[in-house]
Amino acid sequence: MKRRILTMLLMPGVCCIAQAQMPVSQAPAQQQSAPPPAQSPSQPQLDISGAPANNPNAEPANPKLLGMEIPLLDPSNDTISYNGGKFDVGNNAVVRAKFEAYLHGTPDTSEETRLYSKKIEKILKYVRGHYKSQQAIGSDALVQIGKTLYSLSEVPTDGQHSGVLASCIVTALDAQRANRTRTIENSKINKELDSLARATNNLSKSKTTNNSFLVAYNTKKMAQKQADQAKNAATNVQSELAAKVSYQSNMVAFLLMRRYDHAVIASRVYRHVFHDGDNTMKIEKDSKADQFLKSTTGLPPTVNTVDALANEARTSVDKHMEAVHSMLAQNKLGEATQHLIEAVAIGEHMISVLTFPVEGRRRVAEYWSLRKRALTALNARDYGTVDEIAAKMKSLDVEFDDSMLLSYSAGKKRQSDLCIRNARKALLAGDDEEFNRCITEAGTIWPLNPNLDASAKHLEEFDNNSSVLAEFRTLFARKEYRTIFKEQERFECVAADPELKTQYKEVILVISTIDAMLKQLESVADQDRVMGPCIAYEKLVEYRTTEPRCAEDPAYKDALNMYAQKAHDFVQALRDAEECENRREFGSALSNYYRALCLYPKSTLAGQGASKVSDIIVKAQY
Amino acid sequence: MVIGGVVLLAGAGFFFSSPSGKRSSGKPQDFSIREYRNDGSRMAVPGNRYLLEGRVENIETIGNSRIVAVSLKNNRNERLPLLVAKDTVLDVNLTRKDSFLFEVECRTGRDSSGNEVKGILVVKNADSTK
Repeated sequence: MKRRILTMLLMPGVCCIAQAQMPVSQAPAQQQSAPPPAQSPSQPQLDISGAPANNPNAEPANPKLLGMEIPLLDPSNDTISYNGGKFDVGNNAVVRAKFEAYLHGTPDTSEETRLYSKKIEKILKYVRGHYKSQQAIGSDALVQIGKTLYSLSEVPTDGQHSGVLASCIVTALDAQRANRTRTIENSKINKELDSLARATNNLSKSKTTNNSFLVAYNTKKMAQKQADQAKNAATNVQSELAAKVSYQSNMVAFLLMRRYDHAVIASRVYRHVFHDGDNTMKIEKDSKADQFLKSTTGLPPTVNTVDALANEARTSVDKHMEAVHSMLAQNKLGEATQHLIEAVAIGEHMISVLTFPVEGRRRVAEYWSLRKRALTALNARDYGTVDEIAAKMKSLDVEFDDSMLLSYSAGKKRQSDLCIRNARKALLAGDDEEFNRCITEAGTIWPLNPNLDASAKHLEEFDNNSSVLAEFRTLFARKEYRTIFKEQERFECVAADPELKTQYKEVILVISTIDAMLKQLESVADQDRVMGPCIAYEKLVEYRTTEPRCAEDPAYKDALNMYAQKAHDFVQALRDAEECENRREFGSALSNYYRALCLYPKSTLAGQGASKVSDIIVKAQY
Repeated sequence: MVIGGVVLLAGAGFFFSSPSGKRSSGKPQDFSIREYRNDGSRMAVPGNRYLLEGRVENIETIGNSRIVAVSLKNNRNERLPLLVAKDTVLDVNLTRKDSFLFEVECRTGRDSSGNEVKGILVVKNADSTK
């Protein structure tokens, strides 16, 4: 019943809100012409949604969130799928604005409104009493009710509806009074007709010329009287019907405009205004109102139908408001908000809704604002904000189930990050097309993903890659490995080229090894200031034989020179030995090697040199 | 005065024409290993003979030949390599850390390719200093 009332309230033509709220699915013409919602890539697709297993062709149901379905935007036709219907985006905003206006409005707790409420209740109690007792309400009482209603129409809360109802009652009473007057007139005409008939009969007995003239006159007059009588009767029927239609249309209007008190008063006063016992609704067949009233019972609507609907709505609103107070007392803001939305939607003008305290409104407004922001953030795919809002909502309502919100958000974030990772891989592999595809997908899933900024930086670097690659090639050709090493992050992009990648790795390895070795040798030289430099020098020379590229490194060269100076005698002995060898003075060469071994007995270079020269000396013929 | 100058030049010429020390004779000669290292060709003139007193610091045997590293009295931090050829028979048995009088001759040899092997001090004889 409640759902039907809401549906009726949302019917077009009833009020601006109702028009604004009208689901697209309820407009057959639009429904038929509108193409099925396209699966836009930008539309957020919730993984948790799904069509029923037994009907693969059915549209997947919207997932529920925050106790409500998540409105999903379909950009192809600017509609939102929500609560089983499709709503226009702009209109949905109007609905939200209406509720927000209520939340931010001031409760009407004025003395005037209190008196108004009291008087309305008094009238309701009065008509209810006569409804139960089946006693007729006299014309004087009806007039009194009308006067009271006229006085209430000046109260702002009333919105002039009491005046309209009073006018309806007075108009109906006037019509009844006019009908009675015409009925009395017809009685008089009847008497006159009887009198004329008797006179005519008497005249007919004596057939004179004069009498014949009088008979004709009387006959004509009787005909006129009968015509007047028929006219009065017809006017009565017409007037009765017009009064009923006017009264009933206003009665239905009260119901549709959610003025349930007025609808109840009007329906219960009806049988006291119109005494013919006919309480069927004189509304246009198959009109929206007729369909709505018929839909409640399936039978032709009556005045009692309106009475029942209005009473049901009043009770429902009061129950919702009780629930709102109860939920707020338990800090269950989610449920309180849900009940308040329904109460406002059904009975916006009910006293219990109008007088809802400002503190309660503020709390609900805060929660409502967060929920609205959550939905907006979801539609905008701003998952960072979604997480923040979920945390705030949880702090406001301990029973708020944030698991779905958070898991959905986390899933989308992870999905977006994965795309960015794939984009980076594609970037390193030099696959522009794959990079663009992955980065677009990542942005589509989570447009505000902070990692997208880093990817943009990578992209910029990727654009500059050609110059970086050229620079790397030049530096590598010049054997300026140290420069490459120092800017290794900038040159990381050369890995896109397999050949350069190998060179890059080699450079990093060589320079890293040199640096590690220099650090170690520095420690050795510090520990033993006599042999330490000899050890360091020899290690550097030995490394040069295994890795000739180190000879181009400035740090290596500096270290070699430094240790050569510190181990001057040792180095000089080795160099002299080499020179002597070149001059083929092997005796002197061997003596130099011996000298070097004296300075550094574990010298590999001197040992090897001595061994080599000794061998030459021994094998020669003298 | 002129005669004195001629005598001085002659004396200087004699000094520079031979390595430090005298040719092999009955007394050990003052031999500079440092000079030998630095300028072996001037010190080790083929055919020159020296009598050196040195301590055996190391003996390296290669095949049947030996290379003996000796230190001289004037500088124990230097080593002078002496070749004891395979066919050389010495009067004493060379042992490490013992001093000997070595009679050596400076020789230039040839390797298997015919290239020179200059400035090799070949031990002709050795005698114990004890």
